[in-house]
Amino acid sequence: MANVTIYSTPTCVYCKAAKEFFEANNVSYKEKNVAEDEQAREEMVRKSEQMGVPVIDIDGTIVIGFDKEKIAELLGISS
Amino acid sequence: MKHYDLIVVGSGAAGLAAAVYAGRYKLSTLVVEGEFGGETATAGVIENYPGIPAIEGYELMRSMKKQAQGTGAVFLDAWVKEIIQEGKCFVVKTEKEEIRSTMVVLGIGSQRRHLNLPNEKELTGRGIHYCWTCDGPLYGGKVVAMIGGGDSSVKGVNFLAEYAEKIFLLYRDTDVRAEPINFERMQKLGDKVVLLPKTEVKEIVGEKKLEKIVLSQEYNGSFELPVDALFVEIGFDPDQTFVKQLGLETDERGYVKTDAHMNTNVPGLFVAGDMTNHFGGFKQDITAAALGSVAATSAYEYKKNNPDICVSHDKPS
Repeated sequence: MANVTIYSTPTCVYCKAAKEFFEANNVSYKEKNVAEDEQAREEMVRKSEQMGVPVIDIDGTIVIGFDKEKIAELLGISS
Repeated sequence: MKHYDLIVVGSGAAGLAAAVYAGRYKLSTLVVEGEFGGETATAGVIENYPGIPAIEGYELMRSMKKQAQGTGAVFLDAWVKEIIQEGKCFVVKTEKEEIRSTMVVLGIGSQRRHLNLPNEKELTGRGIHYCWTCDGPLYGGKVVAMIGGGDSSVKGVNFLAEYAEKIFLLYRDTDVRAEPINFERMQKLGDKVVLLPKTEVKEIVGEKKLEKIVLSQEYNGSFELPVDALFVEIGFDPDQTFVKQLGLETDERGYVKTDAHMNTNVPGLFVAGDMTNHFGGFKQDITAAALGSVAATSAYEYKKNNPDICVSHDKPS
């Protein structure tokens, strides 16, 4: 199973949509709230070189934004 | 190919309201979602939708979707690539499948305006942002700017005030056009918010991240304003994606022309929401939803008056 981490803020709708997508496809994920967790924010910026959320780390591949097609491809989910 | 009475393109307030009504009219209805929730989903807390004192835009859209599903509307998580007319029917082509319908309601809204300045694209996500509800919370204790003179930018300032240390609001005119309740909230923030009227951004400066913006007017003796982030909220233009494909008549600003019942110049094709200028500059969740309900009602009347206009033996699903 893929190791998935989502860097999010509580008010980000694309983060909510991404989490709903994971849940609908039975993908377990770890969530890091970058609004509160400064260390997670630095980690996100280091990995993605930018400050927009969501950032999704799938086995070390970084996806910026809720790019459903790319995420589905990385997770082997067929539409 | 599946056949529906009605295909709704778009799942913002206009599209979802159209689906709620169409379902209740017993039209077989498919909603091709695109980006779920449209502009409403990113609007933050909505406090002026009657019957609901306060709700996150995304939650309002989820509730409308559930309501539409309850009436029998079916949803397809896909983007429409093309819409063609086949006789008196429509064929809607998505990246997943092609579907035929007797009627179409277009509710794809509008596209966010950008500043169109050098460096804007390169620094997007690196200090230049378009979604304050998404990225605003990352700027806790920082100095940020918001550009835009409408209600959304004032709502954005009020939202950012929970996080940022200082916020500059830049706008082109002498006044902002905000709901007085939102403007009053902003005024109560005191020195935390600095209003810069008659001010535009001339340059975006930064290498790996935004460092400063160059203003059209001096502030504190300088045209340069160092900020950690600039949130861009300068309005929208109507989405033109299907205008040429379908030969839709528009006004000079690109809004699709309709009659009072959301009929377009293409029989069987209706539009709703921010693609039209029905209420002029007054574009709200409630007006989008109202137009969606009118478009669905016109679709119902059209089907009733033309029962055999697009006959297919294919079933919806």
